[in-house]
Amino acid sequence: MEIKLKCSCGESSCPEWAIIELQGVVEVQPDFKDRIQNLQIGLLCRPSSQETYTFTVGYHELSGSKIPLKKPLLVLKKKIIKSDMEIDQNDDQINSSRVELEVIGIIRQRILFKTRPKALISEPQVAVKEKVRTPCPVVEK
Amino acid sequence: MENTESGCIKGAEAVLNVAPKSSIPVSYHPLFGPHDDLLLLELDEKLLPDVINQRVSLRGEPNEDAVLCTKSKTYAVKFVGTSNSVFLVPPSDQFAASENPSIASAIKVAPGTMELVEVAPRIDKLKTLLLENPYKFDEDNEMYDSDLYQWDDLINKVQASDEELISALRILSAVEINGYWRTVDYKYMEKMLNTLINNAILNDWSLSSLDEKEVVESLVDEGFSRVIAHHCLEVYGSKTNESVWELDKKRVCVHFARGILLANGKMKMESFMEEWIRKVPGGMVVSLDMLEGEILVEKLGIQLWIYAFSVSSLPSDPANRFSRLFQERAKWDWKDLHSYIRDLSVPGLTSDGLLLKYTRRTQPTADAEPVFTAR
Repeated sequence: MEIKLKCSCGESSCPEWAIIELQGVVEVQPDFKDRIQNLQIGLLCRPSSQETYTFTVGYHELSGSKIPLKKPLLVLKKKIIKSDMEIDQNDDQINSSRVELEVIGIIRQRILFKTRPKALISEPQVAVKEKVRTPCPVVEK
Repeated sequence: MENTESGCIKGAEAVLNVAPKSSIPVSYHPLFGPHDDLLLLELDEKLLPDVINQRVSLRGEPNEDAVLCTKSKTYAVKFVGTSNSVFLVPPSDQFAASENPSIASAIKVAPGTMELVEVAPRIDKLKTLLLENPYKFDEDNEMYDSDLYQWDDLINKVQASDEELISALRILSAVEINGYWRTVDYKYMEKMLNTLINNAILNDWSLSSLDEKEVVESLVDEGFSRVIAHHCLEVYGSKTNESVWELDKKRVCVHFARGILLANGKMKMESFMEEWIRKVPGGMVVSLDMLEGEILVEKLGIQLWIYAFSVSSLPSDPANRFSRLFQERAKWDWKDLHSYIRDLSVPGLTSDGLLLKYTRRTQPTADAEPVFTAR
């Protein structure tokens, strides 16, 4: 079986994806476990012009930095193509399917958080809320 | 923290371009989920052009571990898991959803990545496939296709890159007949070579300067197919000029030696040498050195015995190769061992590395020859 790696990115490079990586697991409150889509995970801040970042999840603050990957990562999408009915040698109809792999993105950097989470005792959200101005207004349906 | 104007940048672009002294919220994408069809593959920068130009593919049968092949190399694909939470944020124009995602949205948490390790092509399967139905002299022209293999069939079954496959076919002396890749039965090759040599004697042709057309026509007249007649020249000769061939002495002598041992099994050295000298075409000088990697010599009492043991019949992956070699003989000296491992190629291992990995080297005294045994 041969599965060709397709790539329609062409001469220009593939769309760049981003990775935010933390040690450990982000836990969602039990009530929201089945509808986490659209829920905010945290706030990613870049305090200075350096490539250092903080990520605030709940009342924990993580510190990390943006680092280039030693080797790029390709984002592949696996597709199972069910071909139309085929007739085999006994004139029986058989359903055959084949797998296609397509490159849909590339990742060259990640923002990695390796520190122990710092518990924010005071209320950080208030301070942050004042300063953050969402550049894009949320469009109401 | 102050915020700066950043326009309507969203998705991966927003994460990768957070302005100094600003922040962005990161959320679960409206379409967040397991997305098992999204995979991460780590790739060397130098392989990127091959991927962009669609010259890369995965090869293997469903029951085999997949390998990734470029035009010339083969890589094993290993999945490496991580205990970290790796949030993947796609560019804003991918995964459009009916609801507007917030500034940066993660579509999935990746459980790990696939990594590539360069490996030797898995060529043993090719040998097995082609030895199923070697081309014979009295072959039925109506061979069922399912027992024969075209190039595309080989690509689908053998885990090797195109170039490695072509190279392996050449080493097997395979030939493409009617679109099918075949090895040619030994007896057929023998008959053809003998016919060629006889015709050369009859027509007073020089074996070091054969005219391609004359040779091929004379073989075709005797019932051999044109394609195979050409193949005979390729296997036993070298082109010295445009349509002029020279028979390679070593290849021809090895051929006759093989024939003798095939017919007789283990032979006394003197008997073998006598028959060998007698059988080779006049003017060809034989020497045991020619048979390195083809025969083994055993001393039983005062008598030397010789038998066929061809490197071409041994497995091509190192572990199985050494296992088979030590099965044949518990102890090897370098001179013999060398001929049976020099064709092994393992990316990342030198020949010394191979010896270190698979053998134990002992040297009885400082000036004695080293001896290799199984590890």
